Amino acid sequence: MTMTSPTATRAMEPKEFKSDLKPIWCPGCGDFGVLQALYRALAGVATSPHEIAFVSGIGCSSRIPGYTTAYGFNSVHGRALPIAQGIKIANPELLVVVAGGDGDGFSIGGGHLPHAVRRNVDLTYIVMDNQIYGLTKGQLSPTSPRGLHTVTSGMGSMEDPVNPLLYVLAYGAGFVAQGTPADMASLASVIEDAIRFPGFAFVNVQSPCVTFGQEEQQLKAHRARMKPLAKLGHDASDRLRALALASDYGKELYTGVFYRNPEPAPTYDALVRQRQAELRPAALPRERILELFRKAGGE
Amino acid sequence: MTIESLELSGLSLKDALDLATLIEEEAHERYLELADQMDQHRTPEPARFFRFMAENEAKHGAELSQRRRELFGDAPSEVRRSMLFDVEAPDYDEVRAFMSAREALNIALRCEEKAHAFFVAALPHLTDVSVSALFAELRDEEVIHRQLVGRELSRLAPGPEPEGEAFVDDPNPQ
Repeated sequence: MTMTSPTATRAMEPKEFKSDLKPIWCPGCGDFGVLQALYRALAGVATSPHEIAFVSGIGCSSRIPGYTTAYGFNSVHGRALPIAQGIKIANPELLVVVAGGDGDGFSIGGGHLPHAVRRNVDLTYIVMDNQIYGLTKGQLSPTSPRGLHTVTSGMGSMEDPVNPLLYVLAYGAGFVAQGTPADMASLASVIEDAIRFPGFAFVNVQSPCVTFGQEEQQLKAHRARMKPLAKLGHDASDRLRALALASDYGKELYTGVFYRNPEPAPTYDALVRQRQAELRPAALPRERILELFRKAGGE
Repeated sequence: MTIESLELSGLSLKDALDLATLIEEEAHERYLELADQMDQHRTPEPARFFRFMAENEAKHGAELSQRRRELFGDAPSEVRRSMLFDVEAPDYDEVRAFMSAREALNIALRCEEKAHAFFVAALPHLTDVSVSALFAELRDEEVIHRQLVGRELSRLAPGPEPEGEAFVDDPNPQ
């Protein structure tokens, strides 16, 4: 379990996680549904808001910490994951959720993702993947499909998109899922599962940009073409099958859990606590710490 | 529209009243959210209409809640908001900045139809006679609501719909 000391002793309601700040996303934005699903997931996990830290980068979706009653850190572009890892290691009792967009996570923050995955810090990383830089008025993002016409690709993109699902699975993430706000009940359930997973959990949410996104990426289109993995009989413990399904990113819209490691590895934060416990008996009292440096300096 | 982890066949009248109240509460909150979105994006007429709908949903919810209190007092509830999604509440992707009042009314019309369809679909699964009677009553009320919204729609003066490109949405810092 992610929560180490939950104080909530009663069933919680989604509205307990809703802040007074009103979202300023464009009407029709997919992120509204993600936010609702998140409130439901947090109510399901039943951890009090003061035991949750929300960390985000920069972008439309990165505004999400402000819309919750949990602790929030709207940080630096692409740097949400390193900050979140630090928070979790220093405050292991906190439930840490990281949120951001595809540009934030796979472009400027792309270098941090594999390391967060391989370290396996107990975080939940939710990416609202809209295949465009919406906040800055519609430039190509790392998940934009080849051929997409944007203000930075007037004649169509000449690049293939990154495949976030395949990328994260290949780096060894223990929990990988995808959802869409076109099915908020399933999305809430997937986010709750991710939060409950003991280790790095990744949820890619296809959250369309209503202003700069493609028509075929909007929620109405999602409703018509989404394929819930549970209905396909997918065994989420089968990593190779998960990799095969994930390779259809951009072609098929699979929703649900692609992979859940049935034998989760120890988390980095747990190993840190273990190491601290091992070293503590031999540690000098705080007032004698300087003696170590004096010895090293030859005094 | 979904109802999660709720076995409709075993629903008691107390829980059915609570469920109906929560459905109204969800719709009330969603209409207020949409009204706020419209205000943020300088779309005043739909904002006014969504607030009007929110008031109606709140009024209906209060009536149902009152009935529940009269019959069952403060007996604990077995249903929670997290069990339902968008039974009567408009979907988030229904709205757009600079939409017209007519479009807003059409959204409300679709929501009344959606709620009606929910009660129609639920009725055959119910076993408790009093719950069936309540759901039939709620189903019929949705028909009346649909007629009310339809009448409002017919009162709208015909005219060109505003075009989104004609508006400038200034930055709105927070």
